[in-house]
Amino acid sequence: MKFTIDRKTTSSRPALSAVGTKRALLLLCFSLMNFALFAQTDVSGKVQSAADGSPLSGATVHVQGGNQNSLTQNNGSFTIQASQGDSLLISMIGYLSQTVAVTGGSVGTVSLQEDANNLTNVVVVGYGTQKKVNLTGAITTVDMTEKEGQPITNASNALHGTPGLFVNLSNSQPGVDRSTIRIRGVGTLNNSDPLVLVDGVEYSLDELNPNDIATVTVLKDASAAIYGSRASNGVILVTTKTGSGKAKVNYNYYIGSQKPTYMPDAIWDPITYMKLKNQALRNEGKDAVDYSDEEIAEYEAGMKTDPFTYPSSNWFDIALKNGQMQKHDVSVSGGNDKSNYRLSLGVLDRDGIIIGPGNSEKKYSIGLNTSYHVTKRLTVGMTLDGYYRKYTTPFYTSFWSYLMRALPILTDTLKDGRYGNSWLRTPGRNNWENPRMIAYTGYGHKTVQRFVASAFAKYELPFGITYNAKYGIDKYDGLLEEFSPQVKTWNPKTDDFINWNSPATAPRSANTDYNNLNVHFYQTLDWVKTFNGDHHLSVMVGNSYDHFETKGFDATMIGYLDGTLTALDAGSERYDIGGRSTEDVLISYFGRVNYDYKGKYLLEGIIRSDGSGRFDNGRRWGQYPGLSAGWRIDKEGFFPWKNTFDLFKLRASYGKTGNQAVPLYSYENSIDLGQNYSFGDVLAPGAANTAYTDSTITWESTSNYNLGLDMELLNHRLNITAEIYKKRTTGILREVDIPDQVGGLKGPQQNIGVMDNKGFELSLGYNDHVGEFTYGFNGSFSYNKNEVVDLEGQILYDFGTNLSTITMKGLPINSHYILDAIGIFQSDEEVANSPFQSNSTKAGYIKYRDVNNDGIINADDRVIIKSSSEIPKYTYGFGINMGYKGFTLTADFQGVGGIKVYPEGNLTFPFNNGAGATWEWAKDAWTPENPNARLPIVTTSTGGQDNFKDSDFWLRDGSYLRMKNIQLAYQLPKKWMDRIKITGMSVYVNAENYLTFSKYKDFDPETALNVNSLYHYPMLKTLSAGARITF
Amino acid sequence: MKIRNIIVMAAGASLALGSCKKSLLDTAADYKYVESTFWKTEAAVNAALTGCYAPLGYAGLFGGEATPLWEETASPNAYNYSNSMGFNFIAEGKQEPSSTGIIPGRYHDCYTGVGRCNSFLAHAGKVPIEAKTFDRMRGEVHFLRALYYFELENYYGGVPLILDPPDKDTQSDLPRTPREEVVAQVLKDLDSAAILLPFTYGKADIGRATKGAAMSLKARVLLFEASPLLNTAGSTDKWKAAAAAANAVIQMAPETHYDLFENYRALFLPANENNKEVIFDVQFIYPDLGTSFDLIGKQYNTNAPLLDLAEAYEMNSGLPITDPNSGYNKDKPYENRDPRLYATIVYPGDTFMGVKVTDSRFAITGYGMKKYTIYDTEKPPEALNDLKGGQSETNYIVLRYADILLMYAEAQNEAAGPDQTVLAAINKVRKRAGMPPLTGSYDQASLRKLIHLERRIEFAGEGMYYNDIRRWKTAEKDLNAKIYTYAGKSIETRSFDPARDYWWPIPQVQRDLNPNLEQMPGY
Repeated sequence: MKFTIDRKTTSSRPALSAVGTKRALLLLCFSLMNFALFAQTDVSGKVQSAADGSPLSGATVHVQGGNQNSLTQNNGSFTIQASQGDSLLISMIGYLSQTVAVTGGSVGTVSLQEDANNLTNVVVVGYGTQKKVNLTGAITTVDMTEKEGQPITNASNALHGTPGLFVNLSNSQPGVDRSTIRIRGVGTLNNSDPLVLVDGVEYSLDELNPNDIATVTVLKDASAAIYGSRASNGVILVTTKTGSGKAKVNYNYYIGSQKPTYMPDAIWDPITYMKLKNQALRNEGKDAVDYSDEEIAEYEAGMKTDPFTYPSSNWFDIALKNGQMQKHDVSVSGGNDKSNYRLSLGVLDRDGIIIGPGNSEKKYSIGLNTSYHVTKRLTVGMTLDGYYRKYTTPFYTSFWSYLMRALPILTDTLKDGRYGNSWLRTPGRNNWENPRMIAYTGYGHKTVQRFVASAFAKYELPFGITYNAKYGIDKYDGLLEEFSPQVKTWNPKTDDFINWNSPATAPRSANTDYNNLNVHFYQTLDWVKTFNGDHHLSVMVGNSYDHFETKGFDATMIGYLDGTLTALDAGSERYDIGGRSTEDVLISYFGRVNYDYKGKYLLEGIIRSDGSGRFDNGRRWGQYPGLSAGWRIDKEGFFPWKNTFDLFKLRASYGKTGNQAVPLYSYENSIDLGQNYSFGDVLAPGAANTAYTDSTITWESTSNYNLGLDMELLNHRLNITAEIYKKRTTGILREVDIPDQVGGLKGPQQNIGVMDNKGFELSLGYNDHVGEFTYGFNGSFSYNKNEVVDLEGQILYDFGTNLSTITMKGLPINSHYILDAIGIFQSDEEVANSPFQSNSTKAGYIKYRDVNNDGIINADDRVIIKSSSEIPKYTYGFGINMGYKGFTLTADFQGVGGIKVYPEGNLTFPFNNGAGATWEWAKDAWTPENPNARLPIVTTSTGGQDNFKDSDFWLRDGSYLRMKNIQLAYQLPKKWMDRIKITGMSVYVNAENYLTFSKYKDFDPETALNVNSLYHYPMLKTLSAGARITF
Repeated sequence: MKIRNIIVMAAGASLALGSCKKSLLDTAADYKYVESTFWKTEAAVNAALTGCYAPLGYAGLFGGEATPLWEETASPNAYNYSNSMGFNFIAEGKQEPSSTGIIPGRYHDCYTGVGRCNSFLAHAGKVPIEAKTFDRMRGEVHFLRALYYFELENYYGGVPLILDPPDKDTQSDLPRTPREEVVAQVLKDLDSAAILLPFTYGKADIGRATKGAAMSLKARVLLFEASPLLNTAGSTDKWKAAAAAANAVIQMAPETHYDLFENYRALFLPANENNKEVIFDVQFIYPDLGTSFDLIGKQYNTNAPLLDLAEAYEMNSGLPITDPNSGYNKDKPYENRDPRLYATIVYPGDTFMGVKVTDSRFAITGYGMKKYTIYDTEKPPEALNDLKGGQSETNYIVLRYADILLMYAEAQNEAAGPDQTVLAAINKVRKRAGMPPLTGSYDQASLRKLIHLERRIEFAGEGMYYNDIRRWKTAEKDLNAKIYTYAGKSIETRSFDPARDYWWPIPQVQRDLNPNLEQMPGY
């Protein structure tokens, strides 16, 4: 991963200009030698900016065809050894290079034009762009071209390692692979997803072809205030690629293979499984065990002759395969002073790691980006980003939970291919979920067409005023088609069958239609003016209207003759039908003023006013101001290290942002339909209030304070950015649980309190070369501390899953609140002499601390673990890159620290309601002979509840460091390419997620965050290779 | 010129946005009402009334997958190997405040019902409805609120007594009301309901609460109040009140037409729903409001009958199998038994769904519970032979006339001793079952034993016995025992702490949310 600042010194800087100090000294020696040979003379000159005539320091002056280089001084002047008739190439980051001929002792003043297309120089901010050097906010830019060649299936997965961003890939399943993105911690107890805008229009990051993205800008502090009420979680601005220069065609291709990073170490040996299960039952006090000695003996003997009746099924081997993926991207782009264009097509074809047809994905993307100068004053254009994508799921989508329940004694298939079950009666397994059957039964096909199309116009009015307008439509059409035939599993011994699904409801067909339309409009007036040459002022005012609409309906039919026809019309009996729509509106007025004096003192002011339909009349409008300032200390006369620092900028900002992310219609007491009952054997429609509402809810608002320092040193080779921030969120919106005695109602959404996120971020990059060997390093580190400051005396518990988290004043949100395990009982006497836990406690069980010393272990003995269950304290990332003669090697690492995970359920806990167990339970569980085992005595987790209460025994360290990606690329020599008329071609190999360091080994540590079971698509490691051709 | 037009249009659009922002920001859902627009029509009031009934079918009360059938597994009658809804933990004495399943579930669903009833009583009066109709509606709501509060106080003791519509600010921190006050309110509601409700309904309204339902529930409440668990002083007056309440229902028979349904097995089949024996039941209907009764009975076997229950059935001669003269044959233990055994339990050697039952057919205890499934000896038709989760629609009977007869017998025996009316009531039930009448001479204690047995047998599999052994205070004996399979193989040892386990804990979540709720002793 690289950031803009790095990129300056790598890709946008002309190759020869990236000259290090050492190199310059060497060259100086060479030039002295050359002087002797060719009678060169000193040539002087001055370089300035064409825009404002300010001197440019650090520009590279190079004698074409020779080795001489020089850099301009602070006043823009330079001197270089050159012969008459030589050409000097003058280049600088962010400016178009220029060539001048040497016709005397001086070439005079050279004015460099700013490179408008240079994205590293200009940063996209809300409703406009800004020069990077003039930024006063905490803004990070990710250059997606750096990630070309990585097998990124979803744009959100590409943001790993951005300072201040916590990116957690929560799902790897084809079609629904998504990352959760958190910017600077969790600022709310509600929806914490940042606002994403694509080319200024709100859109989903997940619906974009990663290859069409040029840059991603993250607004982390007051700079986000321009997006007011939806900016509290930060704002992500995506800019798509545009065309420029002469027409070129780009073609990218990669092919890859995928497999899981981690799978639990499950027991697949049937005899070990049966014996351990019996042992577990005996240990918890059951007299009856599941498998008799005779059955086990029979099994052991049978395994030798009849693997169908006596299988030892390794279900991870049976039900998983290597995934395949390939992607083609073609783009045509170009542009001139009249117009520019870029057209792209992408095709992703992916087949997941589950056997069967249920996890493949095809994505077809189209991207169009054009603009046209109609007149001198008017520019119009349009952008279109669209996907047509299809993905499949098994009809029974809980495949992973079934797989984590699979047992070694479960027969895969009988000899003739019918799905097997087991002849062994196993409590909890009445209807054997054969994973092969689940993977192959029926289908779920989801087809999505989603596009965002926007048209814009820019008109230059008199007096330096520019009018901008953009109208965007985001259309989502989805159709989910599902069908399940009637299927059975067969007893391998008796040939009896069990219906998996009832003949009364299968075959069954269901369709769900999603039909969403979001309309966005905004217009702005920009005014830029320079006074007295030194005072630069720019003003922007505007307003916007956003309308969100969802519509959907679904229908299910049964009564199919067989499994041949699957359309709804082929069924004979209506089974279930539903439909609804929702609407959401946001209206905003906003403005921004930027002022700078000589590019030295920078000021920015923002104001936004938002009206939201999510709140009651009178509480709909909120105001969001933002103020920030920057100081280019390096431009001050007294700055002592002018030769060392190319940039030394101090920034400070304050701003208010909001969050309106409460469910729609949360402010009105609603009466829900569907509370039905039957009278006279006819369904009667019923209605009731099911959730409590608080009509006084309003915006959640966040005050952002940020202090930042940007430094560039050693002729731009080293850059450092440091930020320190505090975000105070007041009026946190959250659903508050209320006691059941208040009508058994779901709690209301309320503004409940105040929370702080404090932290710092540090990032640095260094790039240099020695001869033809180039190298670079970048790293970032973020620390965030979350603390609830005030909850008006309330204490909130998370009752979603269990009793394990608490939110109260002075703690990070959702801190673990669990029993304190203090060891394992070594004897029944110790149990008898300890506080009462339950009537099943005995030697080998987990011992809990009686916190309140009342002689009984219960919920009153819970202790607070002062660590958030949601957000790591530390996130960090670093990358290295090396290049030599067309070869480049890059590696990116990411890590998180200070987070605990709490997985539960099948294969974390043993024999959970008929599931299996991991080897650790066979090897390292307490027995009188193994008193120092890690695990307590083996019981079933369903029956031995004492050991599986929420306690810190099961709280695991979720920290990890992962090599996210390593890539080796080779750029084929230009002379070869010239012969076949190709501008450029490179080939590369790539490995993703191949190296992970973590204490948590049961499953992938990255997936284990924020979930409490292992029932999901595992994290994948990908090996891929590809090529990129330009012609 | 064109450009100017565009600018004018854009400026116009922005003005338009500014001037009518109020209407632009008004949005409304098209799939739910809001309170201010809801209470307007009789149809809405009817829907709200239906909404008061809806919690009856929830998992916390009498529906879910098979909650009332699983309740049987907290008694010595049956065993739930997968601890569905936490009932086996209750049988084992392992329930805790933080338990999941029925303990928080019943508490929640009952209060859901209470809240809806309270809202109805507060708001429905604003809507113009014919007085007679509205009285009936109010009667139904009073009955339902009484039922929900009875279920609450029966398991959790005193609970916050709230009679106003849900209000977070005034109700969230209310402590538990003494149980006696809750019971008084239950009786008051039932008396109101009995006045307002009709004896019977037309076909379209079958399933609504009747006068008989209100009076029968009152009899049950008073019976519980008179029982040893609650009647610690041993007051005979309480038994008298209970007997009188049950007798009132019996005396009402000319208007209510209550009587025992002729066929004990068929009483629990969908074809005979709402027959003359049914006083109040939970109305299930497929596919919208279904249960999994058939699935768990036929396949899951999570309400597996225990040996102790099978052995409790008398011989069809009326003698217990322990009687040397009973003719009980250990090798053919299921011959010549109380016919209700065959209507309730599937045993090894039996024929079920057209197939001879092996001892591994119901592998948990060897027995299956056929009551409340549609399955029996015969092979079922193809379309019904494999009903899965949510596909059963047999109503669950909350109150039936046989219960009234046995309530009366029990209460009258305690209040006045074994008089003829007591025997007549029992014998009526036995006669329908095909059992010989009790004809001997009994003292109060010996008849008490027989009444207890009669209840156990008559209601086996219906989820009643757990409450019976609680209120009789015999659970400390009945649930401190090993349980066995049909073959006498021990399954597990149950445990019951009399100081703690007669009552369920207040769910931990509720005490976290409202620290003023005091916990039950021992938890």
